[in-house]
Amino acid sequence: MYFPLVGGRSEGDSLLTQTQFLIAAGVNSLSMIQTRHLLLKLALVLLVMGGMFVAYLDSRITATFSDKMWDLPAKVYARPLELFLGAALSPQDLTYELEVLGYRSVSAPLNPGQVSHYRNRFDIYTRGFEFPGESESPRRVLVEFGGNRVSGLYAGGKNVDLMRLDPVQIGGIYPQHGEDRLLVRLEDIPVTLRNGLLAVEDRGFYEHPGFSIVGIARAAFSNMRSGGVVAGGSTITQQLVKNYYLTPERTIVRKLTELVMAVLIELHYDKDQILESYVNEVYLGQEGPRALHGLALASRYYFDTPLEQLGLPQQALLIGMIKGPSLYNPVRNPERALERRNVVLDVMAAQDVISQEQLSVARAMGLGLNNQHSIRNSFPAFLDLVRRQLRRDYREEDLTTRGLSIFTSFDPLLQRQAERSTMAVMDQLDPSDQLQSATVVTRFDTGEVAALVGGRKPRYAGFNRALDARRPAGSLLKPAIYLAALEQPRKYNLASVLSDTPLNLKGQSGQPWKPQNFDGRPHGDVLLYRALAKSYNLASARLGLDLGLDTIVDTLARLGVQNVPRVPALMLGAGEYSPMDMAAMYQSIAAGGFRMPLRSIRDIVDAHGEPLRSYPLEYDRTSSQQAVHLLHYALRAVVREGTGKGVYRYLPEDFDVAGKTGTSNDGRDSWFAGFSGDLLVVSWVGRDDNGGTGLTGGSGALKIWGHFMARASKRSLAYRMPDGIETFWIDDGNGYLTGEGCPNARMLPFIDGSEPRQRTNCSPRKSGPGIRGWFESLFGRGD
Amino acid sequence: MIASQRMFRAMLLVLIASLASCSIYRQSDQDSGPVVQQPDKPAAVPGVTLPQPRPPDPPASAAWRPLLAKAEQATSRGDYEQALALLQRAQRIDPDSAEVYLSMAITHRARGDSAQARATAERGLLYCLSASECDALRGYTH
Repeated sequence: MYFPLVGGRSEGDSLLTQTQFLIAAGVNSLSMIQTRHLLLKLALVLLVMGGMFVAYLDSRITATFSDKMWDLPAKVYARPLELFLGAALSPQDLTYELEVLGYRSVSAPLNPGQVSHYRNRFDIYTRGFEFPGESESPRRVLVEFGGNRVSGLYAGGKNVDLMRLDPVQIGGIYPQHGEDRLLVRLEDIPVTLRNGLLAVEDRGFYEHPGFSIVGIARAAFSNMRSGGVVAGGSTITQQLVKNYYLTPERTIVRKLTELVMAVLIELHYDKDQILESYVNEVYLGQEGPRALHGLALASRYYFDTPLEQLGLPQQALLIGMIKGPSLYNPVRNPERALERRNVVLDVMAAQDVISQEQLSVARAMGLGLNNQHSIRNSFPAFLDLVRRQLRRDYREEDLTTRGLSIFTSFDPLLQRQAERSTMAVMDQLDPSDQLQSATVVTRFDTGEVAALVGGRKPRYAGFNRALDARRPAGSLLKPAIYLAALEQPRKYNLASVLSDTPLNLKGQSGQPWKPQNFDGRPHGDVLLYRALAKSYNLASARLGLDLGLDTIVDTLARLGVQNVPRVPALMLGAGEYSPMDMAAMYQSIAAGGFRMPLRSIRDIVDAHGEPLRSYPLEYDRTSSQQAVHLLHYALRAVVREGTGKGVYRYLPEDFDVAGKTGTSNDGRDSWFAGFSGDLLVVSWVGRDDNGGTGLTGGSGALKIWGHFMARASKRSLAYRMPDGIETFWIDDGNGYLTGEGCPNARMLPFIDGSEPRQRTNCSPRKSGPGIRGWFESLFGRGD
Repeated sequence: MIASQRMFRAMLLVLIASLASCSIYRQSDQDSGPVVQQPDKPAAVPGVTLPQPRPPDPPASAAWRPLLAKAEQATSRGDYEQALALLQRAQRIDPDSAEVYLSMAITHRARGDSAQARATAERGLLYCLSASECDALRGYTH
């Protein structure tokens, strides 16, 4: 136990030893001075020392026994699920969300946290939640599905426009000693729980002065019989003192100190304050390094239910567990726990806390534990990201002591699918478990990270490859070259003819640089968009060198990729990049040239619900919107006719996406980055020892990407033209202007005035402006 | 207003289908049209049951409207943080709404952040569907 103002246990230890030392010293000096007043002086010294000791204890109590006495770890929440008419959500998704929230399946929901589900109808009694700035009250809502959309949403017979479920708590940020707790006010504790607690632990609580003579006598008797200190006979006040200030050892001095402090506490504080502290302090079990303190947290932990809404048998179980949280742990020792619970229920009935009828009903019930294993701390990769973002703005101490609530963009549904896709594809690619993988999922409209897979065993904390694997990016950097070119519309457009021919360059340090195409062959003249779609290395390297290394470095920086090596091999992905770095780059591209920092945190709220900080959405246009639009065209071509065609083994034909494959030298890294209408996903496959994988971007990472997108993305990539773009028919062979219906005719978008000057001999069957007019009418411009 | 948008979208899809023969981009029929919103895609992998046919588009856009009204109130009392928080929530619900972008731009302008107002309006221009909506956004791009 640590308190912000005064140290905890360790200080208590040294205090006791000091006192003993002082007493010993007093006795020693005494033996040297022989006077008649020896005994009197000794008594005086002891009296003064005793008085000082009591004063010291008193100051300790008054200094720490205030409302700021506990370290409250930060709670980290997932995004709340928004429910509204037309929401793209499947009944399976809602079932999973309610499951991880710990809603209990019942035939008729009568209490918060319960749900009844029949086919496409969910009858949910929500728990409600205090969101930053707004609150949702608990209520019974009916959710109906038509296919994979919410088709009806009602509460009390009326339509509900929009509502949120409570957010899943995905973790906490605990101090070193691992204590976790939720605070509860005394008036929010169910009355049966409060009275039951007193009946079992301290019947005379409201009468005694901090200790109970009867209790001590009883304890002394049993100690005498056993010849040691075995029983406590402690009041609730004494237990509180013991938990707060003292070591667990059972010595007479400790017992006396406990007694004195108990009385002092009783003098300073009223009974309700003491009881409230007790219910928040009491230890009720352990989950790994995390120590569960307080009835409220135990209620959440064991039953997935807020303390206020806890049923009678569950209340009795919590009371019973105080005596031995490990011995009566209902998960590990269910039979012993049930026996203990029934003993508590009997006591409650005997003390008239509950009726005989309540007793018989409660005794007949099961333990009522949450059947679902807690998903808390099951997402180490995402929590790692949240922690890193927090540490930029907060001290560790604030995070572990101030009871902050941290609202993140984590989406449990997307995370589940990302993990499933990773496992499904990796198990098939590499059953022998040699390869590793990482995936980043963002909602690019808002720049929020929604899911993160840091390795093939996503439940285990460890090397977080999504953030920390640093690898060459292969062709994933190429879009920066093409964007840099397209940002010079006087010189380049999608139909520019590039030369895919061998290239031999002397590097600065003298080593030659001789890039090769993947198929080992040069392809001669090739249109710019196709060079990217087919990921031709020679054409790309030549284009990049024509533009200049500095231009490419600058373009990458504007897309959010810093720390790149200034070498020609940068054009083909040299350097070290994490999947998160690549997500930042493709985020800027997906968002149309607007750079947004990738965010995982939405809001932070303090222990009193006051907003501390929000991380607002901010756009920064760093690239030409028109040029990015043309780049989108080329990235669509990648998946339709280039190296990324494999995505359509997963996606339906009519679902539009854009993306890019990446393969580093010798197939050490397999990448795929791309976006649909709502999600941006970057996947990586490689080996931790940086060895070859035998995979390309298209045969490795692309599969995870496609598998995931097919199941998770809700929106196809819409075609949206910014101002200043015109479309023209182009001869796909030579890049000349041509007419509709002419040989090789293909329509390409161009930045105004950048269309090719040369024309084929073929005369158009139909005129271009007709199509242009159609586009314009669609997008409401041109008048 | 909403109903007419729905109608417009439905007509658009029909239009695209009928124009498939004179597609804009040759690479594929699907790359051709300016598809405003695609219906839910079915899972394209064996072993997964196809979802039921989608019912007519429910008025999803109505869901965030109350948030815009609340944001407006927050802006008028000078609570821009709250207004932006409400608008971001609205945007998460419907990321394709030019109206939400416009409200964001207005709020940024009101709190004196012209750069954000401009960037937000520029991005919103990708989503506007009517001339009046586009013009309103253009008003914030200077």
